[in-house]
Amino acid sequence: MGGNKKEKREEKKQKRARVEEEEFEYEEDDDFVEPGEVSQEVPAAALRDCDKEEAAKTDEFGAQDYRKTLELKPDHTSRPLWIAPNGHIFLESFSPVYRHAHDFLIAISEPVCRPEHIHEYKLTAYSLYAAVSVGLQTGDIIEYLRRLSKTSLPDGIIEFIKLCTLSYGKVKLVLKHNCYFVESQFPEVLQKLLKDPAIQASRKRQEGEEESADGFITGELSGKSALQLKKAANGKEGESQPGTSAEDAQNGEEKKEEVPEDIFNYYEKMDREEEDEEEEGALKTVSFEINQENVEDVQKRCIELEYPLLAEYDFRNDTVNPDINIDLKPSTVLRPYQEKSLRKMFGNGRARSGVIVLPCGAGKTLVGVTAACTVRKRCICLATSGVAVEQWRSQFKMWSTIDDSLICRFTSDAKDKPMGCAVCISTYSMLAHTTKRSYEAEKMMEWMQNQEWGLMVLDEVQTIPAKMFRRVLTIVNAHCKLGLTATLVREDDKIADLNFLIGPKLYEANWMELQNHGYIARVQCAEVWCPMTPEFYREYLTTKSQKKLLLYAMNPNKFRACQFLIRYHERRNDKIIVFSDNVFALQHYAVTLNKPYLYGPTTQGERLQILQNFQHNPKVNTIFVSKVADTSFDLPEANVLIQISAHGGSRRQEAQRLGRILRAKKGSAAEEYNAYFYSLVSQDTVEMAYSLKRQRFLINQGYSYKVITRLDGMDEEDLLYRTKEEQMQLLQKVLAATDKDAEEERALGEGGKALVQRKTGTMSSMSGADDTIYMEYRKKQVHPLFKKFKKT
Amino acid sequence: MVNVLKGVLVECDPAMKQLLLHLDETNEFGRKFVIQDLDETHLFISADIVETLQDRIDDLMDRLSFPLAEK
Repeated sequence: MGGNKKEKREEKKQKRARVEEEEFEYEEDDDFVEPGEVSQEVPAAALRDCDKEEAAKTDEFGAQDYRKTLELKPDHTSRPLWIAPNGHIFLESFSPVYRHAHDFLIAISEPVCRPEHIHEYKLTAYSLYAAVSVGLQTGDIIEYLRRLSKTSLPDGIIEFIKLCTLSYGKVKLVLKHNCYFVESQFPEVLQKLLKDPAIQASRKRQEGEEESADGFITGELSGKSALQLKKAANGKEGESQPGTSAEDAQNGEEKKEEVPEDIFNYYEKMDREEEDEEEEGALKTVSFEINQENVEDVQKRCIELEYPLLAEYDFRNDTVNPDINIDLKPSTVLRPYQEKSLRKMFGNGRARSGVIVLPCGAGKTLVGVTAACTVRKRCICLATSGVAVEQWRSQFKMWSTIDDSLICRFTSDAKDKPMGCAVCISTYSMLAHTTKRSYEAEKMMEWMQNQEWGLMVLDEVQTIPAKMFRRVLTIVNAHCKLGLTATLVREDDKIADLNFLIGPKLYEANWMELQNHGYIARVQCAEVWCPMTPEFYREYLTTKSQKKLLLYAMNPNKFRACQFLIRYHERRNDKIIVFSDNVFALQHYAVTLNKPYLYGPTTQGERLQILQNFQHNPKVNTIFVSKVADTSFDLPEANVLIQISAHGGSRRQEAQRLGRILRAKKGSAAEEYNAYFYSLVSQDTVEMAYSLKRQRFLINQGYSYKVITRLDGMDEEDLLYRTKEEQMQLLQKVLAATDKDAEEERALGEGGKALVQRKTGTMSSMSGADDTIYMEYRKKQVHPLFKKFKKT
Repeated sequence: MVNVLKGVLVECDPAMKQLLLHLDETNEFGRKFVIQDLDETHLFISADIVETLQDRIDDLMDRLSFPLAEK
């Protein structure tokens, strides 16, 4: 009887959930249309999903049977790929041709999951779009896939690739001498575009030119990679490059017997083509000029015609904007993957817009600085917080020859004089906020709007939602946009918008590979299960409010585990960061353990002081931080991270936090791991589910979590909250706390502005939206931003 | 007069015991089922509720875990 009822209730709940889900989708759609024509900017083909094309029979484990549709090649053992008709590609990482296949797959598809032996990729319209934009041709993609595959290629896949690539990348929007040109290698495509009346109208004609003539401007694509300049500067790097490729070839020859020749032959051919393009680049192109004021119309129209324009910036021939005097220091050495990613960006002598994905701590800033040094035009960098702005500034000074007076900061705390500056560093919120500004800031904004920027570097690009981003883009006029991020995931699927707002993903690094090469720290991830004490669990069960969060964050056993871990690692002379999203818990832990802490309201000066102490003072080995430190807090010394409370099931946050300790450690070769990431979880509470949710991204990058149910030696230590009495006192304290204390910290001040912005969106636009905790946020419509700026 | 009650001895960790007591107090299954609260980790409960209880705890555990395989 009881069971029956329960079932019914469950059913109802599910139904309700489904309805809600649908509602969210609607809301999200609304959100899409409202800020602008985002939905129109996505070509129809891009919305296609090859997932739905074919559904094969699945067995009880979810495995799909393709035996009837695909044919296994006789020499399948030496080929590395399984290509499923649903667009998923599985790569054997132990295959001798792994490296070639890997490079190729990175270019044409999205990595889904990359553990040790088998990697999973997925072909999507966006990834193919990106492939085309870096110069791959439809035929090449299909042919190479065919050769790498263990089976015959599914027809659906071939069709999908053709559909997505044929019309992409054929036309480019090039900015030369400050005039916009539509350029293509295919005259017939231009002809077709010109037949459209809207485009015809916006075409700019020379005086006296006859209407009937085609009048295309023919030109040559000078293909020399723009990065040459930089390579010449550090000759060593340049030399080592051919060295490695020669090695490649040797490796290849050794293993040739095992591998069907066609794979190599074809790869070599593609390689050669790429080189050809770089060296001679004598590709004939045709173009026509368009009026500057109509650029956006033309862009829109072209997308409707399914020929999206790729934006490129011919910075070498830009004579209107002055060159700035900035170069990389001779001592600056780029790592191979940094160079690779930049080569994708500057592939044909022009700057492409796009996103580069590198793990935290792998040197994203250097990539940004190098890009600025290559373009050598006025550059604007946008970061997420004031601290990040300072870090960008110091990095610019560290890696490049830029003069201090050329850098201009624009944050609420520091406003440098903009006159004559070349590199401007600011935050997203500074540019995007719409309420009244101070006089000084007003002037600064005016100045920025009137400038023509060569390059826009967007740090932590995944945090900006479309709305805010569009506002920033309308304010600042930049020829080329480079997005940098470590985690191209969001709990909503809006990440795809970036493809069309900034550009395609140019490069994505493999975390595990960087780790094996020692570019980032080797991290041991652990999930520590802390049992709830009976008293706390009892309250947890009866409380309905936000206080639940407080109860599992303040669980005495968690506190003890945290204290134990801090002691253990302090004895090893490690540097420890403890993260807590909940400010009440943060303060309590930090004060009780007598450690410094910083959170939203901490002033900039105090923050820097604490951080400096942490870095240089041997007596300060542990700091407590709230989520203001999630991103862009560069703490190279830290190698232990303990997380006591977090933001629901946000994958991004987990990865960003891990990033705080990823910077490569010195003298690390001896040990298997040189950094530790502990996530403390209260058992039997909703935290367990969150924790699993959060880990998905890192697991997909190949990390594995060790579950620790008991910390050895914890009983011998003299830790706090040993007795029932003390525990009860703590419980009293927690119960006395108000609901307000129980809330997660709302992003105050500079930190995590983007999160604030997200709250104005739909519920599902926030991470892990299906959890009630977030409901509370929605009800509170008072925008923290307004509170803050009223004062200033 | 002698009352005979058939029961089951349950051993669990302290937190779980609190859950059982909570279910008992709030009449989650429509009636009381804990016969005797013995100590930190032991309870004596009526035998006929065991199955429902198991379902309930399975359900709870399901909710506390998150399927990694699915997207």
